[in-house]
Amino acid sequence: MTAQLVEEAREGLRQFPPALAQEFESALEAVQPILEPDELARWLRDGLEIARHSLRSWEASSEYFRASGPVLEQITYDRMREWCTVGIDLMETSPALSGALFRASPAVLPHLSVPQANDWASQGKSLYKGTWKSGSLSAQYFDVSPQILPHLPLSQMRLLVDLIDSLASHSYELASACLGMAPGVLSQLDRADRAPFLEFGGIVAHTAWVDARVYFERGPGALRQVGEEQRPRFLSLAGQVAMQVGRLGHPYFIESAQAMSEVDKDIHEGLLELAEQLAQHSGDAAMEFLKSSPRVALRLGIDDIARWQEFGLQILQQSRDGGEAFFRLESARGEEVMEALSSRVDLDRVSELIRMYCKALTGVDVGVKASEELTAKGVGWVDESSPTTEGTTIYLPENVERYPTKEENFSVYKVFATHQAGRLEFGSFEYQSRLDPSLFPSPQNGTQNGHGNGVAPAAVEGEEGEIHTDMELFFDQFEDRRLAHDLFTIVEDTRIDTIVKREYAGVRRAFSRLQQAAIDRRRPVEGMPARQAMVENLLRASLDEIGRIRWPNELAEEMRTPLRILNRIRNDGATVQDSAAATALLYEWLSQIPNVELDSEDWSDFEQEMSADPDGGEDSDMMPGSGSSGLEESFMPFMPGSEERPYDSPDPVDFRGDFKPELVQLLMKLKGETGTGDAPPIPLTKEQLQELLEKSVEISINELMDMDLAESSGMFLDNLLKEVNQIQGERQEGQQAMGDDSTGADDGEELPVEAASFYYDEWDFRAADYKPRWCRVQEQRGESGTSNYYTETLHEHTQLVQETRKQFEMLRPEMFRKMKRLTDGEDYDLDAVIEWYTEKIAGATSETKLFYRRNKVERDVAVAFLLDVSASTDEEIQKHHDQRQDDQFDDDPRKYLSWWAQRRAEAARHPGKRIIDLEKEATVLLIEALETIGDKYGVYGFSGYGRDNVEFFVYKDMDEPFGDRIKERIDKIAPVRSTRMGPAIRHCIWKLQNTDAKVKILMLLSDGRPQDHGYGRDRTEKEYAIHDTKMALTEARREGMVPFALTVDRAGHDYLKQMCQDMAYEVVADIESLPRRLPALYRRLTG
Amino acid sequence: MTTATGPITEYRSWAVEEYRAEEEPYYVPVSDEVEVFEAAWNNKIPVLLKGPTGCGKTRFVEYMAYHLNRPLAVVRDGRAEVESESNLPLVTVACHEDLTASDLVGRYLLEGNETVWIDGPLTRAVKAGAICYLDEVVEARKDTTVLIHPLTDHRRILPVEKKSQLLQARDGFLLVISFNPGYQSALKDLKQSTRQRFVAVEFDYPPRETEAEIVQHEAECSPEVALNLAKMAEKIRNLREHGLAEGASTRLLIYAGRMIAAGVSPRRACQVSIVWPLTDDGEVQRSIEEVVSSIFED
Repeated sequence: MTAQLVEEAREGLRQFPPALAQEFESALEAVQPILEPDELARWLRDGLEIARHSLRSWEASSEYFRASGPVLEQITYDRMREWCTVGIDLMETSPALSGALFRASPAVLPHLSVPQANDWASQGKSLYKGTWKSGSLSAQYFDVSPQILPHLPLSQMRLLVDLIDSLASHSYELASACLGMAPGVLSQLDRADRAPFLEFGGIVAHTAWVDARVYFERGPGALRQVGEEQRPRFLSLAGQVAMQVGRLGHPYFIESAQAMSEVDKDIHEGLLELAEQLAQHSGDAAMEFLKSSPRVALRLGIDDIARWQEFGLQILQQSRDGGEAFFRLESARGEEVMEALSSRVDLDRVSELIRMYCKALTGVDVGVKASEELTAKGVGWVDESSPTTEGTTIYLPENVERYPTKEENFSVYKVFATHQAGRLEFGSFEYQSRLDPSLFPSPQNGTQNGHGNGVAPAAVEGEEGEIHTDMELFFDQFEDRRLAHDLFTIVEDTRIDTIVKREYAGVRRAFSRLQQAAIDRRRPVEGMPARQAMVENLLRASLDEIGRIRWPNELAEEMRTPLRILNRIRNDGATVQDSAAATALLYEWLSQIPNVELDSEDWSDFEQEMSADPDGGEDSDMMPGSGSSGLEESFMPFMPGSEERPYDSPDPVDFRGDFKPELVQLLMKLKGETGTGDAPPIPLTKEQLQELLEKSVEISINELMDMDLAESSGMFLDNLLKEVNQIQGERQEGQQAMGDDSTGADDGEELPVEAASFYYDEWDFRAADYKPRWCRVQEQRGESGTSNYYTETLHEHTQLVQETRKQFEMLRPEMFRKMKRLTDGEDYDLDAVIEWYTEKIAGATSETKLFYRRNKVERDVAVAFLLDVSASTDEEIQKHHDQRQDDQFDDDPRKYLSWWAQRRAEAARHPGKRIIDLEKEATVLLIEALETIGDKYGVYGFSGYGRDNVEFFVYKDMDEPFGDRIKERIDKIAPVRSTRMGPAIRHCIWKLQNTDAKVKILMLLSDGRPQDHGYGRDRTEKEYAIHDTKMALTEARREGMVPFALTVDRAGHDYLKQMCQDMAYEVVADIESLPRRLPALYRRLTG
Repeated sequence: MTTATGPITEYRSWAVEEYRAEEEPYYVPVSDEVEVFEAAWNNKIPVLLKGPTGCGKTRFVEYMAYHLNRPLAVVRDGRAEVESESNLPLVTVACHEDLTASDLVGRYLLEGNETVWIDGPLTRAVKAGAICYLDEVVEARKDTTVLIHPLTDHRRILPVEKKSQLLQARDGFLLVISFNPGYQSALKDLKQSTRQRFVAVEFDYPPRETEAEIVQHEAECSPEVALNLAKMAEKIRNLREHGLAEGASTRLLIYAGRMIAAGVSPRRACQVSIVWPLTDDGEVQRSIEEVVSSIFED
């Protein structure tokens, strides 16, 4: 019976392509042994039924047969039947889907129970919308299911399907691509993250479907940057935000995840909690908060971040824009709060303070800069984090964050600075080989029978043409330069620290604290070879820590003398000469100590009778007692291997920083700043430098640059010479500038001046707060042309010049104001006297205030003119002319041609005037007038593009005397780029602040509204720029200046009214009257 | 520490030309200024004292007036009476920008129906043969030079315009003026024709040890405090013209010393008597406070 059924089935299949029959045969082979006859019959029937269902359903049937074998291996036929019903039902929808389902079945079965099949299939079915594209998407669903289901329980499959469905409504290609990526994406994610990932994906698909592919590609990677535990939370936050902000949701997700990767994972939870609080008010704020977190976390701990966030939240509740700017770190308040909460002290905030402090201590003009700046010069210093000095500037680390409070961290800076200033104040770099020490025997006598002192310094100095620094000569005496340098550093630092502590009792506490910290960080002495251990012990002793000296008991005597030498440098009156002498003595001792491992059980704390006779003993005691042999002998018992070990310098002490006396002396010498002062800078050949370089232990080439020796030393020399030349150049320039001022002589081209940068805040009216350090103003001198322009303009306007000059001269008598009715004064006031006399005769008692006095009212005016030199000033002002000339034409067509030709010719002869030309003319006239009354004035122009490039041209600075140079620069005033008024005004305010005058006027001359790239949300937004400009003008007023805006833009009323409100402004309707109008206005302002 | 039982200064008044130092003013000569001044006085050459504020110019004049001996004449009811006194009277006028010639010479005042002439301080000094010290003379109005010029050359005459009189200065009269070249703008500089009628004595703050001695004496504080104050002043003066118009004066140091002696903590005493009076610039204030806190422990 079975066979008959099979035959019938074979018969039935014949009408279909042979491929189906083949599938049938191989399936039959597999299922026949498993199935009961009646089961087989049903199986056959099902197959046939499927095949016969519709035109292409044979393909599904073929999948059915193929899947049967593997499926039946996993489940019973009854279960399979149940399973297949789902597929058969799907036939109604689409045979292709049904086929896909059968195809996937064997692989899916392990992950799904049979009852779940329905659910699984219906999800796939839901993707099918009756179109072929949706069909293939749906089929793809079944195809990838086996790969997805291991990662995603069916219950969560819904999320993916919804996501894909939602994408499909926009683009099937995208949906299909994402579906294809899904298995890979899901496998990258942790189990717990998968559902949230898809949930957020669903939101992205809704709000910003185009981002979905990127999300699938980059999402898992981005997510991995967030702390493991926090990922679901982060995703749900991102989702919540995306619902609010729409398209921005996904970029926010990527960027904030990126930001979080830069923050310690431990605080991710805290950050997310804070962000969630913010998200309730503004999604933008929440994400900006996360994005800013690396910069914030750099300065604040999580508790302080919470406080910071709380502050921002309050602002956020009052003003969304304000709060968002706060968290974007674009608000001055945000910075302030952070600064107040942070315990870190940044150098750039205190550098001016420290500079003045150091100047006060040393009495010389020292600079204070970040150590990085010195290392960047490549002249020998390599450590970016330690304080140091090269003789003229004190270099300090960029920030200090060692202690929990600002005060403590600042005190660290103070100790750093005081020590470096001490080197300058107490002459660490002033060693002179000719001078004798005061506390020690002269080294020439002391070391005569000693070691390696064949070079008598004075003798070498005598050689002509050779230049050596005294320090170099000093170190030349010693065979082991490194040891000598280390010893000198220890001794000199001891001397400086001692003097500093004696002179500046107030820093003692902070000093001791750092010393303590430094000593706690030191490596143990035990185990160091003998000489090194001794140096280490000396260094410890130099940190005032006698108790921390560890030394074998048996050799106590050998340690005592070096310590005594070191201690003597603490005496009052010690100079760098004494340090040198002490170094020589110590070198004597230490060079005889073999640098071998000490085998002693008896390392113990060393006790020195400090109080008892610290300076006692004869000088001769400080010499190695009975010659070198004695010392070495005493070490003999403790030297097991007696193998000489290489000597290593002791670890540096942080608060003392780098000490490079040899290099500093060299630099000073090269710069011509030797102690003698009048010595000219000495040219140094490369060879000489090379020699020094190879000799000195202060420069380690390997650290300096990562190159081969020859190349890097060449580089070093270049840097050094560059540094020296630069300083000499500056000095020459200074001299030249002075020469210009006094003589006015034009001795050649002006040196190109590099733009100096200034940073200014900008007002964000939405946030109602400043954006800190937002704009960079680059100040540069205006280019020079010829002075002809100036003279010609004066000629052209002879009449006007005379007029204005006369008017201005009339200003002067106003300098005296008569005060009448005084009891005493310069002379009788005739009216008062007559009145008094009349009354007296009439018998009335009357007033006796009969005098007048002229009180001097000094005219003390400073004015800054700020010219708008934006591109728009390039416009010609023809309109007026055209108008008038058109009017002149008398409508006779016959004459038109000749009239027109005439006009053209005229136009060619006189190219049309531009706004800038009138600005220039007005300036010339005003300068001419101002010179007659002697007011201080500056002429500036501004333009630029973007916030970091506001160009500020100086045509005449406040204190610059008027002369040909100024005339030449006025010639070259030319239109440039955009109009960012705010920063230019702020820079002008700064200029005026630095000018001494009773009345200060800031006159702004523009041709239109302020606008610039990024000056507002977009190019068309006007509000922002106007508000910022207004704020800048208000700042000027707050500083006691009189701001005045003048515009030639006839549409100017609308924005000037807003910009100036209660300040004076004027719109010059007839542009061409500007040269006449400006001086008149000025007179009115100051009169 | 001062005790409550110290002598209490009673209210006293002098006629302008009668004022003279009764106790020897405390003054530590820094160089040869005493000899120079004495020689100038003996030869009737007026003296110009230059130097920063609070460095001891006024004290020096007092000191010299005390030490230069001469019999004193007091003008009473228009008649000069000679009394034997051992030191010179001193008339000090602090000049200001509205100080006119008649403020110095004198003026008529109307009292009821009468017109009364009142001698100005300069006139009284000229008549009494006192030292007349015009402090910060550049501040005064230019018309005062009309008076100064004839008084300071060989003539030694004071014209009293309103009375149509010329007064010949009595022996012993000496005009001493002071000015501080530091903060004068170019406008307020002394004219050459004025300057060149004086011998000039330049003052500066005394060296550290001397200043410490002065502070210790004047403030009655401990030697350590005095030395620290002097040291600090030296540091602060390094900031002159770099944020500070003037360095900390000896006078301020003395104030600080007194505050410390009175029990105010050194840092606080320096803040109120040195830092805050010196400048209003917050940054500079902090810099100086850092210097203070480096030198004083609390």
